[in-house]
Amino acid sequence: MNKELELWKGVLSDGTKKSKLEKYIKGWEEKIGSFLEIDLNRGAYDSNESGALAGIPFGVKDNIAVKGFKLTCGSKMLQTLVSPYSATVVSRLQQAGAQVIGKTNLDEFGMGSSTDNSALQQTNNPWDTERVAGGSSGGSAACVAAGLVPFALGTDTGGSVRQPASFCGIYGLKPTYGAASRYGLTAYASSLETPGILARTVATTKDVFDIIKGEDERDQSSLSYEAEGGQVKTIGYLKIEEGALNADVEASYKSSIKRLEDLEYTLVEVELPTMDYVVPAYYTIAMAEASANLARFNGIRYGYAPFMAENPNELMKKSRHEGFGDEVKLRILLGTYVLRSGFQDQFYVRSQKIRTAIRNDFEKLFTKVDSLVMPIFPTAAFHHGSSDLDSFQQKVADKYTCVANLAGLPALTIPSSVENGLPVGVQLMAPYFGEDRLFEIAVKAEEKYPAPQPEDFDLEWLS
Amino acid sequence: MSNKYETFIGLEIHIHLEANTKMFCGCKAQYGDEPNTNICPVCMGYPGVLPMVNEKAMELGYKVARALNCKLSKNTFFERKNYFYPDMPKNYQISQFEEPVGVDGWMDFDTPEGTKKIRIHDVHLEEDAGKMIHAGDMSLCDYNRAGYPLLEIVTEPDIKTPEDTELFLRNFQRMVRYMGVSDGNMDEGSMKCDANISINLVGKGLGTKVELKNMNSPRFVRKGLSYEEERQADMLDQGKALTQETRLWNENRDQTEVMRTKEEAEDYRYFPEPDLPIFRPDQTFFDLVESGLVELPLTRKHRMMEEYKLSADQAEYIHDDLYLADYFEEAVKLGGDSVQLFAWLSSDVKKLLNRENLSLQDSPLTASWLTELLELISSEAISGKIAKKVLDFVFSDKKSPKTIVEEKGMSQVSDPAVLTAAVDKVMAANPDVVEAIKGGDNKQRGFLMGQLMKETGGKAAPVPLQKILAEKLG
Repeated sequence: MNKELELWKGVLSDGTKKSKLEKYIKGWEEKIGSFLEIDLNRGAYDSNESGALAGIPFGVKDNIAVKGFKLTCGSKMLQTLVSPYSATVVSRLQQAGAQVIGKTNLDEFGMGSSTDNSALQQTNNPWDTERVAGGSSGGSAACVAAGLVPFALGTDTGGSVRQPASFCGIYGLKPTYGAASRYGLTAYASSLETPGILARTVATTKDVFDIIKGEDERDQSSLSYEAEGGQVKTIGYLKIEEGALNADVEASYKSSIKRLEDLEYTLVEVELPTMDYVVPAYYTIAMAEASANLARFNGIRYGYAPFMAENPNELMKKSRHEGFGDEVKLRILLGTYVLRSGFQDQFYVRSQKIRTAIRNDFEKLFTKVDSLVMPIFPTAAFHHGSSDLDSFQQKVADKYTCVANLAGLPALTIPSSVENGLPVGVQLMAPYFGEDRLFEIAVKAEEKYPAPQPEDFDLEWLS
Repeated sequence: MSNKYETFIGLEIHIHLEANTKMFCGCKAQYGDEPNTNICPVCMGYPGVLPMVNEKAMELGYKVARALNCKLSKNTFFERKNYFYPDMPKNYQISQFEEPVGVDGWMDFDTPEGTKKIRIHDVHLEEDAGKMIHAGDMSLCDYNRAGYPLLEIVTEPDIKTPEDTELFLRNFQRMVRYMGVSDGNMDEGSMKCDANISINLVGKGLGTKVELKNMNSPRFVRKGLSYEEERQADMLDQGKALTQETRLWNENRDQTEVMRTKEEAEDYRYFPEPDLPIFRPDQTFFDLVESGLVELPLTRKHRMMEEYKLSADQAEYIHDDLYLADYFEEAVKLGGDSVQLFAWLSSDVKKLLNRENLSLQDSPLTASWLTELLELISSEAISGKIAKKVLDFVFSDKKSPKTIVEEKGMSQVSDPAVLTAAVDKVMAANPDVVEAIKGGDNKQRGFLMGQLMKETGGKAAPVPLQKILAEKLG
């Protein structure tokens, strides 16, 4: 186990430390609101007290099932739902001793890039509370960046772990599709999403990944983990068009490339011809799958139900009308539209073809380079509301992150620099099961440029 | 129906597979339990759950597809069929569309006009929905059935009459029972059949299709289709156009009623199920499917006719039930005469089973006991009449026919000395009658025989007895 986790070990079983943690969390939560539900005791029952991570707290995005905790998905629809079971990734961490202390805020059902789409609460960026923490795993990113927990789980469907990690100045791993079980992740876009890890050090990211990875019989799309090793020598960097990134982000991206060169990697500029098709293909597939995945929420077995309904059909209609937020409704409608008979070839099937082309692009690319470095988002953390980026612009901005989801490749956000008081990260990508390559580069970079800390970050009480 | 029209009938048959657990989770697949007891987060469609394919169901699906002579898929996959229904937990059904387990098969079945062949369009796996009960101003859902493994068999519109449809369905039912993949009971809902029917002027090809639902026995399928055939012919005779629609069979009114028209039909928006990988069976799997094949009912029927000299009707009766067919063949192997066996099984044994409300399986009469009974008759140890009494005792005392005959002293007396003594005694006691017979009054012989039976307690073997009496009377 790494030094950071060693420091956190037993915090929850030590009365003094526990109350210090409680106080620390309280102070931060008044400013950032990262947790939807928090309880430093409840999770103890399900954690292995003799495990290596015993007494270490962690946060879980509220679209991942934890038995006995709520599973709201940031939606009015599921505001009252308490999960009857736990996700495999959660169970594995509990088996290792770690303890869930709460559920973190998110964009409703993971649909958004700011966490402002949560129907339940606003989450602020620990670096600047006027700004968003990113999304959709904004709560998980914010609580980790503020030091409330050493790590948190998120989900990444199109960048939902990596973008908030970048906005909050921490590490964020989206593993290879199939490398970590999706059982217990409330499905938004099944073929794209994976569980993800948000942490302040590479070592903790890796240790947590080692625990959660591997085949799960409950997820038949999961695979047994066979690492794609190989030493990294050459790193490709994506050629970016003039003006595609904000000045801050561009500067940060350039300095990252320079730093990797300083670490004695060979950097080569690369292009991805399919990049322009990524966003439409991504949204077509994501929304199509979402329209089916969210059909189960009908107010009958659990979740929001209207005050009254004349018959079962009206009950379903009213539940969905009143329970879902606008962004969710928009995506369900678009997903239903692209799957209509007679329109599938034009939208869904074509998107799948683009997806295949993207995979082929990467396959070719990884014969020339061992890893890839790319921007994450065109801007740093933006202001709440739509004054900086409206809902449509936010979708277009998913370009650099959602490509890894379409291809199923692993990607890791690493903190790059702080520009005008806000952290900016870049992402590293590798071939399937090439997480070790990402960690290898990240560790080297971390030695010189560790994750920055926001003001008021203070873990003195831990030691 | 007048013969200026031609009828086209196609079927969609659903069977519940005997795969122990549900299609995509480990819950028991069982009827009749307390509502909502065989459920879990997976079959209840909780957020975050994922399906796991029931391998047994997969195997059974391939077996049926193989038995129906389908081309078996080497890379079958599931798709989501999207529609909202209150008792369907996910509001999509995991089903198959582009690449089902089997396609392009056929099945033969017997009709009075001979054996006919029906093409099978495809065989695919899917999951069942729950059950909704409306009670007063409430609607209650029971999800025990939700996720139950289902196999759907779709035929081409090759069936020509409602009567043939019933025969086809019965043959299909027998097939799944023979294979042990489903109990095939339509009244309990473990088998369902929707039918589509169109009629058109002879030689004009398919007409406007009407889909019929809600028929819970092969007989009702026939009745529903007959009604519909007549209704459509009447419409065409009156020059009216038929509409493509779905109709429900109303069992109480003996008629079909509109459920929905084509305009109201759902767009299911099928797309591949992202939670399940493509299933690529290997040779071991295909060997397993192959090794599980059994002799199918129609083959067996034809073999029985050939091998045991049974008529088509006799073989139809015997092969209808797998247990009866096995029982029959076991009895033949033990030396039973096939025609006698058929006669007993289809009359006296059947009557007793009905009276005792037993199935053959549950009755004490094993194949070897029935063979034993037939042997007792053929060796003249007992008469056919006594044999019926013995059979009664087999059911009540649960003992073998031989034991019963011995214990109750029911065997025939054919010892000439014993019979001669009895004849002498009866003749001596009835001199007038003897005289009358000798004088030519043959009617009195019956009286003497009656007296003899009384004397011997009904056990005298009739043939030798008559012979001795004739000799004595000169």
